[in-house]
Amino acid sequence: MDRYLPEDWILPALDDGNRDFFTSGRLALQRCVECGTVQHPPEDVCRSCQSQRLEAAEAEGNGRIYSFSIVHHPLGPKLAGSVPYNVALIQLDDHPHVRIVGNVCDPDEGPLEIGQRVRAVWTTVPDPHSDEPLRLPQWVRGEPAGPQAE
Amino acid sequence: MHGRTAVAGVGESRYYRRGAADETEFQLACIAIRNAVEDAGLKLSDVDGIVSFMDRDRNHPARLGAALGTGKLNFTGQAWGGGGNLGMSTLMIADGALTAGYAECVVIFRALAQGQFGRFGRAPAVARAAGEQAYLMPFGVAAPVVRNALMVRRYMHEHGIGQEALAEIALAAYAHAQHNPRAVRYGHPLTREDYHASRWIAEPFHLFDCCQENDGAAAIVMTTAERARDLAKPPVYLRAAAAGMERWGGVPAFNEPSFPNGRYWHIGEKLWERAGAGPADVDVAQFYENFSGTTLMAISDIGFAPADGIEDFVSGGNIQWPDGDLPINTSGGNLAEAYIHGFQAVNEGVRQVRGDSTCQVPDVELSLVVSGPGTPPGSAALFSREP
Repeated sequence: MDRYLPEDWILPALDDGNRDFFTSGRLALQRCVECGTVQHPPEDVCRSCQSQRLEAAEAEGNGRIYSFSIVHHPLGPKLAGSVPYNVALIQLDDHPHVRIVGNVCDPDEGPLEIGQRVRAVWTTVPDPHSDEPLRLPQWVRGEPAGPQAE
Repeated sequence: MHGRTAVAGVGESRYYRRGAADETEFQLACIAIRNAVEDAGLKLSDVDGIVSFMDRDRNHPARLGAALGTGKLNFTGQAWGGGGNLGMSTLMIADGALTAGYAECVVIFRALAQGQFGRFGRAPAVARAAGEQAYLMPFGVAAPVVRNALMVRRYMHEHGIGQEALAEIALAAYAHAQHNPRAVRYGHPLTREDYHASRWIAEPFHLFDCCQENDGAAAIVMTTAERARDLAKPPVYLRAAAAGMERWGGVPAFNEPSFPNGRYWHIGEKLWERAGAGPADVDVAQFYENFSGTTLMAISDIGFAPADGIEDFVSGGNIQWPDGDLPINTSGGNLAEAYIHGFQAVNEGVRQVRGDSTCQVPDVELSLVVSGPGTPPGSAALFSREP
Protein backbone atom coordinates (compact mmCIF):
# COMPACT_ATOMS: atom_id res chain seq x y z
CA MET A 1 0.00 0.00 0.00
CA ASP A 2 1.03 3.63 -0.41
CA ARG A 3 2.71 5.40 2.46
CA TYR A 4 0.16 7.10 4.71
CA LEU A 5 2.20 10.29 5.03
CA PRO A 6 3.87 11.88 1.96
CA GLU A 7 6.66 10.01 0.16
CA ASP A 8 9.13 12.78 1.01
CA TRP A 9 8.25 12.90 4.72
CA ILE A 10 10.88 11.99 7.36
CA LEU A 11 12.25 8.43 7.20
CA PRO A 12 13.94 6.42 9.93
CA ALA A 13 17.74 6.54 10.02
CA LEU A 14 18.79 2.90 10.10
CA ASP A 15 21.20 1.47 12.61
CA ASP A 16 22.09 -2.06 13.69
CA GLY A 17 19.40 -2.02 16.34
CA ASN A 18 16.46 -0.89 14.23
CA ARG A 19 17.29 -2.25 10.74
CA ASP A 20 15.08 -5.33 11.09
CA PHE A 21 12.13 -3.32 12.33
CA PHE A 22 12.23 -0.96 9.36
CA THR A 23 13.27 -3.31 6.53
CA SER A 24 12.11 -6.86 7.23
CA GLY A 25 8.38 -6.46 6.69
CA ARG A 26 7.84 -8.16 10.06
CA LEU A 27 7.16 -6.66 13.47
CA ALA A 28 10.70 -7.20 14.65
CA LEU A 29 11.16 -6.87 18.40
CA GLN A 30 14.23 -7.76 20.45
CA ARG A 31 14.60 -10.71 22.84
CA CYS A 32 17.30 -11.19 25.46
CA VAL A 33 19.09 -14.51 24.97
CA GLU A 34 19.95 -14.66 28.69
CA CYS A 35 16.64 -13.88 30.40
CA GLY A 36 14.08 -14.05 27.59
CA THR A 37 12.72 -10.53 28.07
CA VAL A 38 11.21 -9.05 24.91
CA GLN A 39 11.80 -5.32 24.60
CA HIS A 40 10.90 -2.44 22.30
CA PRO A 41 12.36 -0.14 21.15
CA PRO A 42 15.57 -2.14 20.85
CA GLU A 43 18.47 -1.21 23.07
CA ASP A 44 22.17 -2.09 23.17
CA VAL A 45 21.59 -4.03 26.39
CA CYS A 46 18.68 -5.91 27.93
CA ARG A 47 16.84 -3.48 30.17
CA SER A 48 16.04 -6.30 32.60
CA CYS A 49 19.35 -8.13 33.06
CA GLN A 50 21.83 -5.91 31.16
CA SER A 51 22.99 -8.77 28.98
CA GLN A 52 24.33 -7.74 25.59
CA ARG A 53 23.27 -11.00 23.93
CA LEU A 54 20.13 -9.96 22.13
CA GLU A 55 18.29 -11.63 19.26
CA ALA A 56 15.37 -10.90 16.99
CA ALA A 57 11.86 -11.70 18.18
CA GLU A 58 8.87 -11.44 15.93
CA ALA A 59 5.41 -10.26 16.93
CA GLU A 60 2.32 -11.51 15.14
CA GLY A 61 1.16 -8.04 14.24
CA ASN A 62 -2.22 -7.99 15.96
CA GLY A 63 -3.17 -5.47 18.58
CA ARG A 64 -5.48 -2.78 19.82
CA ILE A 65 -5.48 0.99 19.67
CA TYR A 66 -4.05 2.08 23.02
CA SER A 67 -4.12 5.81 22.30
CA PHE A 68 -4.37 8.07 19.28
CA SER A 69 -4.50 11.66 18.13
CA ILE A 70 -5.95 13.36 15.10
CA VAL A 71 -3.38 15.94 14.04
CA HIS A 72 -4.94 19.00 12.41
CA HIS A 73 -2.02 21.42 12.41
CA PRO A 74 0.69 20.74 9.82
CA LEU A 75 4.01 20.49 11.65
CA GLY A 76 5.90 21.36 8.49
CA PRO A 77 5.30 22.34 4.85
CA LYS A 78 5.53 18.73 3.68
CA LEU A 79 2.51 17.82 5.81
CA ALA A 80 0.35 20.72 4.62
CA GLY A 81 -1.63 18.50 2.27
CA SER A 82 -1.90 15.61 4.73
CA VAL A 83 -3.85 17.13 7.63
CA PRO A 84 -5.88 15.96 9.35
CA TYR A 85 -3.96 12.71 9.82
CA ASN A 86 -4.03 10.18 12.63
CA VAL A 87 -1.26 8.84 14.82
CA ALA A 88 -1.95 5.77 16.91
CA LEU A 89 -0.21 3.86 19.66
CA ILE A 90 -0.80 0.12 19.24
CA GLN A 91 -0.63 -2.38 22.10
CA LEU A 92 0.38 -5.82 20.79
CA ASP A 93 -1.73 -8.88 21.60
CA ASP A 94 1.19 -11.26 21.97
CA HIS A 95 3.46 -8.79 23.82
CA PRO A 96 1.06 -6.56 25.75
CA HIS A 97 3.85 -4.56 27.40
CA VAL A 98 4.97 -3.41 23.93
CA ARG A 99 3.46 -0.32 22.29
CA ILE A 100 4.22 0.72 18.72
CA VAL A 101 3.58 4.06 17.04
CA GLY A 102 1.93 4.04 13.64
CA ASN A 103 -0.92 5.27 11.50
CA VAL A 104 -4.30 3.63 10.99
CA CYS A 105 -4.80 3.62 7.22
CA ASP A 106 -8.42 2.64 6.68
CA PRO A 107 -10.46 5.84 6.44
CA ASP A 108 -13.63 3.93 5.45
CA GLU A 109 -13.79 2.18 8.82
CA GLY A 110 -15.02 5.23 10.73
CA PRO A 111 -13.56 7.21 13.62
CA LEU A 112 -10.74 5.78 15.70
CA GLU A 113 -11.49 4.66 19.23
CA ILE A 114 -9.29 3.33 22.00
CA GLY A 115 -9.62 -0.45 22.21
CA GLN A 116 -10.36 -1.10 18.52
CA ARG A 117 -8.64 -4.14 17.07
CA VAL A 118 -5.97 -3.52 14.43
CA ARG A 119 -3.47 -5.57 12.46
CA ALA A 120 -0.20 -4.61 10.81
CA VAL A 121 0.16 -4.05 7.09
CA TRP A 122 3.29 -2.86 5.32
CA THR A 123 4.16 0.05 3.15
CA THR A 124 7.27 -0.12 0.99
CA VAL A 125 9.22 3.10 0.61
CA PRO A 126 12.31 3.46 -1.60
CA ASP A 127 15.41 4.21 0.45
CA PRO A 128 17.45 6.89 -1.32
CA HIS A 129 20.57 5.65 0.49
CA SER A 130 20.23 1.96 -0.27
CA ASP A 131 19.15 -0.60 -2.87
CA GLU A 132 16.98 -2.18 -0.22
CA PRO A 133 13.65 -0.44 0.36
CA LEU A 134 12.28 0.49 3.75
CA ARG A 135 9.17 -1.33 4.89
CA LEU A 136 7.17 0.64 7.45
CA PRO A 137 4.44 -0.88 9.61
CA GLN A 138 1.01 0.67 9.25
CA TRP A 139 -2.27 -0.53 10.69
CA VAL A 140 -5.80 -1.35 9.57
CA ARG A 141 -8.75 -2.20 11.73
CA GLY A 142 -10.09 -5.72 11.87
CA GLU A 143 -9.80 -9.05 13.57
CA PRO A 144 -6.51 -10.96 13.59
CA ALA A 145 -5.74 -12.33 10.13
CA GLY A 146 -3.42 -14.98 8.79
CA PRO A 147 -0.51 -13.92 6.61
CA GLN A 148 0.05 -10.19 6.68
CA ALA A 149 -1.22 -8.38 3.63
CA GLU A 150 1.09 -6.31 1.48
CA MET B 1 18.36 21.56 51.37
CA HIS B 2 15.99 22.61 54.13
CA GLY B 3 16.63 26.27 53.71
CA ARG B 4 20.42 26.42 53.64
CA THR B 5 20.28 28.34 50.35
CA ALA B 6 17.93 31.01 49.05
CA VAL B 7 16.90 32.90 45.97
CA ALA B 8 18.18 36.44 46.43
CA GLY B 9 17.05 37.98 43.15
CA VAL B 10 14.90 37.37 40.08
CA GLY B 11 14.97 39.05 36.70
CA GLU B 12 13.74 38.70 33.18
CA SER B 13 13.94 40.30 29.78
CA ARG B 14 10.83 41.60 28.18
CA TYR B 15 8.81 38.63 26.94
CA TYR B 16 7.95 38.69 23.24
CA ARG B 17 5.95 36.72 20.76
CA ARG B 18 8.22 34.46 18.74
CA GLY B 19 10.24 36.54 16.31
CA ALA B 20 9.33 39.89 17.86
CA ALA B 21 12.47 40.48 19.95
CA ASP B 22 14.90 43.12 18.79
CA GLU B 23 17.61 41.52 20.92
CA THR B 24 19.49 38.34 20.14
CA GLU B 25 18.86 35.31 22.35
CA PHE B 26 22.24 35.91 23.99
CA GLN B 27 21.38 39.55 24.67
CA LEU B 28 18.10 38.43 26.24
CA ALA B 29 20.06 36.11 28.54
CA CYS B 30 22.36 38.97 29.54
CA ILE B 31 19.43 41.27 30.29
CA ALA B 32 17.67 38.71 32.50
CA ILE B 33 20.84 37.91 34.44
CA ARG B 34 21.71 41.58 34.90
CA ASN B 35 18.21 42.29 36.20
CA ALA B 36 18.31 39.36 38.63
CA VAL B 37 21.69 40.43 40.01
CA GLU B 38 20.49 44.01 40.38
CA ASP B 39 17.27 42.83 42.07
CA ALA B 40 19.38 41.06 44.68
CA GLY B 41 21.44 44.19 45.32
CA LEU B 42 24.55 42.46 44.04
CA LYS B 43 27.07 43.31 41.32
CA LEU B 44 27.86 41.18 38.28
CA SER B 45 31.38 40.85 39.67
CA ASP B 46 29.89 39.02 42.68
CA VAL B 47 28.65 36.19 40.44
CA ASP B 48 30.95 33.15 40.61
CA GLY B 49 28.68 30.40 39.29
CA ILE B 50 26.45 29.89 36.23
CA VAL B 51 23.92 27.09 35.80
CA SER B 52 21.36 26.40 33.07
CA PHE B 53 19.53 23.53 31.41
CA MET B 54 18.54 22.23 27.99
CA ASP B 55 20.53 19.75 25.94
CA ARG B 56 22.57 21.66 23.33
CA ASP B 57 21.94 25.02 24.99
CA ARG B 58 23.37 27.82 22.89
CA ASN B 59 24.37 30.29 25.63
CA HIS B 60 27.71 28.98 26.80
CA PRO B 61 28.77 29.89 30.38
CA ALA B 62 32.24 31.05 29.38
CA ARG B 63 30.80 33.40 26.75
CA LEU B 64 28.26 34.70 29.26
CA GLY B 65 30.79 35.16 32.03
CA ALA B 66 33.04 37.15 29.69
CA ALA B 67 30.23 39.27 28.26
CA LEU B 68 28.76 40.06 31.66
CA GLY B 69 32.05 40.67 33.44
CA THR B 70 31.23 38.23 36.19
CA GLY B 71 33.80 37.55 38.86
CA LYS B 72 36.07 34.54 38.61
CA LEU B 73 33.86 31.57 37.85
CA ASN B 74 34.19 28.90 40.52
CA PHE B 75 31.39 26.73 39.26
CA THR B 76 29.41 26.00 36.10
CA GLY B 77 26.82 23.29 35.69
CA GLN B 78 23.96 22.16 33.56
CA ALA B 79 20.99 19.90 34.21
CA TRP B 80 21.08 17.09 31.69
CA GLY B 81 18.56 15.04 29.73
CA GLY B 82 15.87 17.07 28.02
CA GLY B 83 14.46 20.58 28.28
CA GLY B 84 11.50 21.86 30.25
CA ASN B 85 11.56 18.79 32.48
CA LEU B 86 14.90 19.94 33.91
CA GLY B 87 14.11 23.47 35.12
CA MET B 88 14.07 22.78 38.86
CA SER B 89 17.03 20.39 38.67
CA THR B 90 19.14 23.51 38.14
CA LEU B 91 18.25 24.69 41.65
CA MET B 92 19.42 21.36 43.06
CA ILE B 93 22.74 21.80 41.26
CA ALA B 94 23.14 25.35 42.59
CA ASP B 95 22.05 24.28 46.10
CA GLY B 96 24.67 21.55 46.06
CA ALA B 97 27.40 23.90 44.86
CA LEU B 98 26.53 26.54 47.45
CA THR B 99 26.23 24.20 50.42
CA ALA B 100 29.46 22.45 49.45
CA GLY B 101 31.20 25.80 49.28
CA TYR B 102 32.14 25.49 45.61
CA ALA B 103 30.51 28.83 44.81
CA GLU B 104 28.99 31.75 46.70
CA CYS B 105 26.71 33.43 44.18
CA VAL B 106 25.18 31.34 41.42
CA VAL B 107 23.10 32.65 38.52
CA ILE B 108 20.58 30.27 36.96
CA PHE B 109 18.94 31.25 33.69
CA ARG B 110 17.17 30.10 30.56
CA ALA B 111 17.05 32.13 27.36
CA LEU B 112 14.94 30.96 24.47
CA ALA B 113 14.31 32.84 21.25
CA GLN B 114 12.17 30.57 19.10
CA GLY B 115 11.94 33.32 16.52
CA GLN B 116 15.70 33.08 15.94
CA PHE B 117 16.21 29.33 16.18
CA GLY B 118 14.07 26.25 15.65
CA ARG B 119 10.44 26.42 16.72
CA PHE B 120 9.22 23.77 19.15
CA GLY B 121 5.89 23.68 17.33
CA ARG B 122 7.45 22.59 14.05
CA ALA B 123 9.02 19.36 12.88
CA PRO B 124 12.77 19.69 12.41
CA ALA B 125 13.86 20.02 8.77
CA VAL B 126 15.52 16.63 8.59
CA ALA B 127 15.19 13.81 6.06
CA ARG B 128 15.96 11.08 8.59
CA ALA B 129 15.17 10.58 12.26
CA ALA B 130 17.54 8.59 14.49
CA GLY B 131 17.34 6.91 17.88
CA GLU B 132 13.96 7.13 19.61
CA GLN B 133 12.75 9.58 16.97
CA ALA B 134 13.05 6.89 14.26
CA TYR B 135 10.02 5.24 15.85
CA LEU B 136 8.06 8.51 16.08
CA MET B 137 8.75 11.09 13.39
CA PRO B 138 8.18 8.95 10.26
CA PHE B 139 4.64 8.37 11.54
CA GLY B 140 3.94 12.05 12.22
CA VAL B 141 4.88 12.27 15.91
CA ALA B 142 7.21 15.04 14.85
CA ALA B 143 6.74 17.74 17.50
CA PRO B 144 6.04 17.72 21.25
CA VAL B 145 2.35 18.49 20.74
CA VAL B 146 1.66 15.10 19.13
CA ARG B 147 3.75 13.22 21.63
CA ASN B 148 1.90 14.83 24.52
CA ALA B 149 -1.47 14.33 22.80
CA LEU B 150 -0.92 10.56 22.76
CA MET B 151 -0.10 10.59 26.48
CA VAL B 152 -3.01 12.78 27.44
CA ARG B 153 -5.62 10.98 25.32
CA ARG B 154 -4.79 7.73 27.13
CA TYR B 155 -4.74 9.48 30.52
CA MET B 156 -8.18 10.98 29.89
CA HIS B 157 -9.49 7.56 28.78
CA GLU B 158 -8.18 5.70 31.83
CA HIS B 159 -9.46 8.23 34.34
CA GLY B 160 -12.69 9.50 32.84
CA ILE B 161 -11.35 13.02 32.31
CA GLY B 162 -13.25 15.35 29.98
CA GLN B 163 -12.26 18.29 27.81
CA GLU B 164 -13.42 20.75 30.49
CA ALA B 165 -10.54 19.69 32.71
CA LEU B 166 -8.10 20.82 30.03
CA ALA B 167 -10.05 24.04 29.56
CA GLU B 168 -9.66 24.87 33.26
CA ILE B 169 -5.85 24.94 32.94
CA ALA B 170 -6.04 27.37 30.02
CA LEU B 171 -8.71 29.53 31.65
CA ALA B 172 -6.71 29.88 34.88
CA ALA B 173 -3.57 30.89 33.00
CA TYR B 174 -5.38 33.48 30.90
CA ALA B 175 -7.32 34.89 33.86
CA HIS B 176 -4.10 35.43 35.79
CA ALA B 177 -2.25 36.91 32.80
CA GLN B 178 -4.82 39.71 32.63
CA HIS B 179 -3.31 41.12 35.86
CA ASN B 180 0.32 40.80 34.72
CA PRO B 181 1.66 43.45 32.33
CA ARG B 182 4.71 41.23 31.64
CA ALA B 183 2.46 38.56 30.16
CA VAL B 184 2.47 38.31 26.37
CA ARG B 185 -1.26 37.57 26.52
CA TYR B 186 -2.01 40.52 28.84
CA GLY B 187 -5.03 42.28 27.42
CA HIS B 188 -6.26 39.15 25.65
CA PRO B 189 -8.80 37.49 27.95
CA LEU B 190 -10.04 34.00 27.16
CA THR B 191 -13.59 32.76 27.69
CA ARG B 192 -14.72 29.16 27.91
CA GLU B 193 -16.49 29.68 24.58
CA ASP B 194 -13.29 30.99 22.98
CA TYR B 195 -11.47 27.93 24.24
CA HIS B 196 -13.91 25.43 22.77
CA ALA B 197 -14.22 27.36 19.51
CA SER B 198 -10.46 27.48 18.94
CA ARG B 199 -9.01 25.20 16.29
CA TRP B 200 -7.66 21.76 17.02
CA ILE B 201 -3.91 21.41 16.90
CA ALA B 202 -3.66 17.72 17.77
CA GLU B 203 -6.67 16.23 19.54
CA PRO B 204 -7.34 16.49 22.45
CA PHE B 205 -5.44 19.81 22.31
CA HIS B 206 -7.07 22.96 21.06
CA LEU B 207 -4.94 25.99 20.25
CA PHE B 208 -5.30 27.29 23.82
CA ASP B 209 -4.11 24.01 25.33
CA CYS B 210 -0.69 24.64 23.80
CA CYS B 211 2.04 26.85 25.22
CA GLN B 212 3.17 29.87 23.27
CA GLU B 213 6.38 30.10 21.29
CA ASN B 214 8.26 33.11 22.67
CA ASP B 215 11.49 35.06 22.73
CA GLY B 216 12.75 35.93 26.18
CA ALA B 217 14.89 35.03 29.16
CA ALA B 218 14.43 34.56 32.90
CA ALA B 219 17.10 34.35 35.59
CA ILE B 220 17.55 34.03 39.34
CA VAL B 221 20.44 34.48 41.74
CA MET B 222 20.99 31.91 44.47
CA THR B 223 23.29 32.26 47.44
CA THR B 224 23.65 30.86 50.92
CA ALA B 225 20.83 31.58 53.36
CA GLU B 226 23.26 33.46 55.57
CA ARG B 227 24.41 35.77 52.81
CA ALA B 228 20.91 36.22 51.40
CA ARG B 229 19.73 37.73 54.66
CA ASP B 230 22.06 40.72 54.12
CA LEU B 231 20.90 41.53 50.59
CA ALA B 232 18.31 43.84 49.09
CA LYS B 233 15.26 41.58 49.03
CA PRO B 234 13.85 39.18 51.59
CA PRO B 235 15.41 35.75 51.08
CA VAL B 236 13.19 33.10 49.52
CA TYR B 237 14.49 29.84 50.87
CA LEU B 238 14.78 26.61 48.92
CA ARG B 239 12.94 24.39 51.38
CA ALA B 240 13.25 21.25 49.28
CA ALA B 241 13.70 20.00 45.73
CA ALA B 242 13.44 16.66 44.01
CA ALA B 243 14.15 15.27 40.55
CA GLY B 244 14.32 12.01 38.67
CA MET B 245 12.02 9.29 37.41
CA GLU B 246 10.52 5.92 38.28
CA ARG B 247 12.54 2.77 37.63
CA TRP B 248 12.24 2.11 33.85
CA GLY B 249 10.53 5.49 33.51
CA GLY B 250 12.87 6.24 30.64
CA VAL B 251 12.00 3.41 28.24
CA PRO B 252 11.56 5.30 24.95
CA ALA B 253 8.65 5.68 22.54
CA PHE B 254 5.78 5.32 25.03
CA ASN B 255 6.97 1.95 26.36
CA GLU B 256 7.65 2.91 29.97
CA PRO B 257 5.61 0.69 32.33
CA SER B 258 3.87 3.61 34.06
CA PHE B 259 2.72 5.26 30.78
CA PRO B 260 0.80 7.50 30.40
CA ASN B 261 1.42 9.18 33.75
CA GLY B 262 3.58 8.50 36.77
CA ARG B 263 6.33 10.95 35.91
CA TYR B 264 5.93 12.79 39.26
CA TRP B 265 5.01 10.01 41.70
CA HIS B 266 8.59 9.51 42.73
CA ILE B 267 9.37 13.23 42.74
CA GLY B 268 6.38 13.99 44.97
CA GLU B 269 7.38 11.35 47.49
CA LYS B 270 10.91 12.72 47.73
CA LEU B 271 9.85 16.36 47.79
CA TRP B 272 7.34 16.03 50.64
CA GLU B 273 9.68 13.81 52.64
CA ARG B 274 12.50 16.34 52.34
CA ALA B 275 10.26 19.33 53.00
CA GLY B 276 8.54 17.90 56.06
CA ALA B 277 5.33 19.16 54.48
CA GLY B 278 2.63 17.90 52.14
CA PRO B 279 0.46 19.13 49.30
CA ALA B 280 -2.13 20.50 51.74
CA ASP B 281 0.49 22.88 53.14
CA VAL B 282 1.19 24.54 49.77
CA ASP B 283 -0.26 28.04 49.34
CA VAL B 284 0.37 28.59 45.63
CA ALA B 285 1.88 26.57 42.79
CA GLN B 286 3.38 27.03 39.33
CA PHE B 287 3.04 24.01 37.05
CA TYR B 288 4.83 23.82 33.71
CA GLU B 289 2.27 23.76 30.95
CA ASN B 290 3.75 22.80 27.65
CA PHE B 291 0.22 21.47 27.15
CA SER B 292 -2.75 21.68 29.48
CA GLY B 293 -3.21 17.92 29.79
CA THR B 294 0.27 17.12 31.03
CA THR B 295 -0.24 19.78 33.70
CA LEU B 296 -3.19 17.77 34.99
CA MET B 297 -0.93 14.74 35.26
CA ALA B 298 1.70 16.64 37.23
CA ILE B 299 -0.86 18.11 39.65
CA SER B 300 -2.19 14.64 40.32
CA ASP B 301 1.07 12.69 40.33
CA ILE B 302 2.77 15.01 42.80
CA GLY B 303 -0.04 14.45 45.26
CA PHE B 304 -2.81 17.06 45.07
CA ALA B 305 -5.59 14.76 43.86
CA PRO B 306 -5.96 11.22 42.54
CA ALA B 307 -6.13 10.97 38.75
CA ASP B 308 -9.76 9.89 38.91
CA GLY B 309 -10.54 13.08 40.83
CA ILE B 310 -8.35 15.56 38.94
CA GLU B 311 -11.21 17.05 36.92
CA ASP B 312 -13.10 17.88 40.12
CA PHE B 313 -9.94 19.32 41.65
CA VAL B 314 -9.31 21.81 38.84
CA SER B 315 -12.99 22.76 38.37
CA GLY B 316 -15.16 25.37 40.02
CA GLY B 317 -12.42 27.98 40.20
CA ASN B 318 -10.30 25.90 42.58
CA ILE B 319 -7.06 26.67 40.73
CA GLN B 320 -7.85 30.34 40.08
CA TRP B 321 -6.75 33.35 42.09
CA PRO B 322 -8.07 34.86 44.33
CA ASP B 323 -10.63 32.39 45.64
CA GLY B 324 -9.30 28.95 44.71
CA ASP B 325 -7.75 26.62 47.28
CA LEU B 326 -4.67 26.18 45.07
CA PRO B 327 -4.11 29.04 42.64
CA ILE B 328 -1.76 27.83 39.91
CA ASN B 329 0.26 29.67 37.26
CA THR B 330 -0.48 33.00 38.86
CA SER B 331 1.57 35.03 36.38
CA GLY B 332 -0.13 33.42 33.40
CA GLY B 333 2.23 30.47 33.05
CA ASN B 334 3.61 29.15 29.80
CA LEU B 335 0.23 29.44 28.14
CA ALA B 336 -0.31 33.15 28.71
CA GLU B 337 2.71 34.83 30.33
CA ALA B 338 5.54 33.38 28.26
CA TYR B 339 7.16 30.08 27.44
CA ILE B 340 10.71 30.45 28.68
CA HIS B 341 10.94 26.69 28.97
CA GLY B 342 9.15 26.98 32.29
CA PHE B 343 11.87 28.98 34.00
CA GLN B 344 9.77 32.14 34.21
CA ALA B 345 7.69 30.13 36.70
CA VAL B 346 10.55 30.28 39.21
CA ASN B 347 10.43 34.07 39.17
CA GLU B 348 6.70 33.94 39.90
CA GLY B 349 7.11 31.31 42.62
CA VAL B 350 9.69 33.54 44.30
CA ARG B 351 7.57 36.68 43.92
CA GLN B 352 4.66 34.91 45.63
CA VAL B 353 6.81 34.33 48.72
CA ARG B 354 8.03 37.93 48.70
CA GLY B 355 4.53 39.33 48.24
CA ASP B 356 5.29 40.82 44.81
CA SER B 357 2.97 38.89 42.48
CA THR B 358 0.32 40.58 40.35
CA CYS B 359 -2.04 37.82 41.60
CA GLN B 360 -0.72 37.78 45.14
CA VAL B 361 -1.91 35.01 47.43
CA PRO B 362 -1.96 36.35 51.02
CA ASP B 363 0.72 35.29 53.49
CA VAL B 364 2.46 32.68 51.37
CA GLU B 365 4.59 30.31 53.44
CA LEU B 366 5.14 27.58 50.84
CA SER B 367 5.32 28.12 47.08
CA LEU B 368 5.73 25.17 44.71
CA VAL B 369 7.23 25.15 41.21
CA VAL B 370 6.99 21.99 39.10
CA SER B 371 8.76 21.41 35.79
CA GLY B 372 7.48 19.55 32.77
CA PRO B 373 6.14 16.01 32.92
CA GLY B 374 6.29 15.43 29.16
CA THR B 375 9.79 13.96 29.27
CA PRO B 376 11.68 12.16 32.04
CA PRO B 377 13.50 12.95 34.29
CA GLY B 378 11.36 15.65 35.89
CA SER B 379 12.02 18.09 38.71
CA ALA B 380 10.27 20.25 41.31
CA ALA B 381 11.20 22.87 43.92
CA LEU B 382 9.48 24.15 47.03
CA PHE B 383 10.21 27.70 48.24
CA SER B 384 9.50 29.00 51.72
CA ARG B 385 9.37 32.26 53.63
CA GLU B 386 11.14 30.70 56.63
CA PRO B 387 14.29 28.56 56.27
